[in-house]
Amino acid sequence: MIPVRCFTCGKVISTVYEEYKRRRDANEDPKKILDDLGLDRYCCRRMLLTHKEIIDELNPYQ
Amino acid sequence: MKIEFSSLEESAASFILSDVSIAFANALRRAMTSEVMAFAIEDVKIYDNTSALFDEILTHRLGLIPLVTDPDNFVPRSQCSCDGTGCPRCTVTLTMSVEGPCVVMSGDLVSQDAFVQPAEDKIPIVKLEKSQKVVIEAQAYMERGIEHAKWSPVTVCGYKNYPAITHDERCDGCGLCVEVCPKDILQVKGSVIGVKDGVLELCSLCRLCELACLNSGIGNEPAIHIGMDERKFLFTVESAGALPTVGIIKHGLLFLKNHSDELHEALSEIRG
Repeated sequence: MIPVRCFTCGKVISTVYEEYKRRRDANEDPKKILDDLGLDRYCCRRMLLTHKEIIDELNPYQ
Repeated sequence: MKIEFSSLEESAASFILSDVSIAFANALRRAMTSEVMAFAIEDVKIYDNTSALFDEILTHRLGLIPLVTDPDNFVPRSQCSCDGTGCPRCTVTLTMSVEGPCVVMSGDLVSQDAFVQPAEDKIPIVKLEKSQKVVIEAQAYMERGIEHAKWSPVTVCGYKNYPAITHDERCDGCGLCVEVCPKDILQVKGSVIGVKDGVLELCSLCRLCELACLNSGIGNEPAIHIGMDERKFLFTVESAGALPTVGIIKHGLLFLKNHSDELHEALSEIRG
């Protein structure tokens, strides 16, 4: 799961992850998406850029 | 003390604080980050958790959800008459009962208080597959940000000195400093250097312009001088969602006022 807040500054970033993922999968430029979503600081931007979703891989091993 | 707002929204504000010392500006910053109280979930009773996340991770995620805070109608638990056991004056109970398949959102939390609610409804907590369940009861109360960052009402809260850019008579308007300025705030006006209109506040005091001036072979001292106003500060405050920025600033200032009053009283007692 995407972290609730940015590790560094504490801004809530998890709310925009769904939109980010959808637009990224539609091959949009990540820079433009992040700018649109209002993530100005590089600490918040890396939270989305570097996230790897693994919850679906964990679920079978319940 | 004077406060001039250049922008003021619920979630972010920037203002100029003038006629104060550096110590006061820093005290205000520290008061806003670590002394202004906000609600956050602290104790969680887990009745059922068959999701892929451990109980600890689940509760950690719950704790980080900002809750809208009403500091006037609640008392901090440490000052409450219930002695820290939890009562309606200091504690709000939130419950959640969700069964998959779905993504559990912060909006699924049902608060017993009409005002103290998750600041945002779309914070994902955990993804549930078919027949997975999360049933919890959480207690939230007000605490200071100094105890844990989840109780801090701000994300970004900082200040810098107000810049003062001047040049002396040796400036010949060569434009070397204009090229190196990363914020692009300088321009050549006639045969001397000047600051573009309305962008002086963007200056980050990096002094690359002074360096460029020295490298032009002007001598031991640069012709452009980056100074700062010692009694004027540019503040930036961003709210995490618990309180509006105005509330954070107000309560930060109130905290300073109350503490200086206490100090004043203590000193008068000693003096007799």
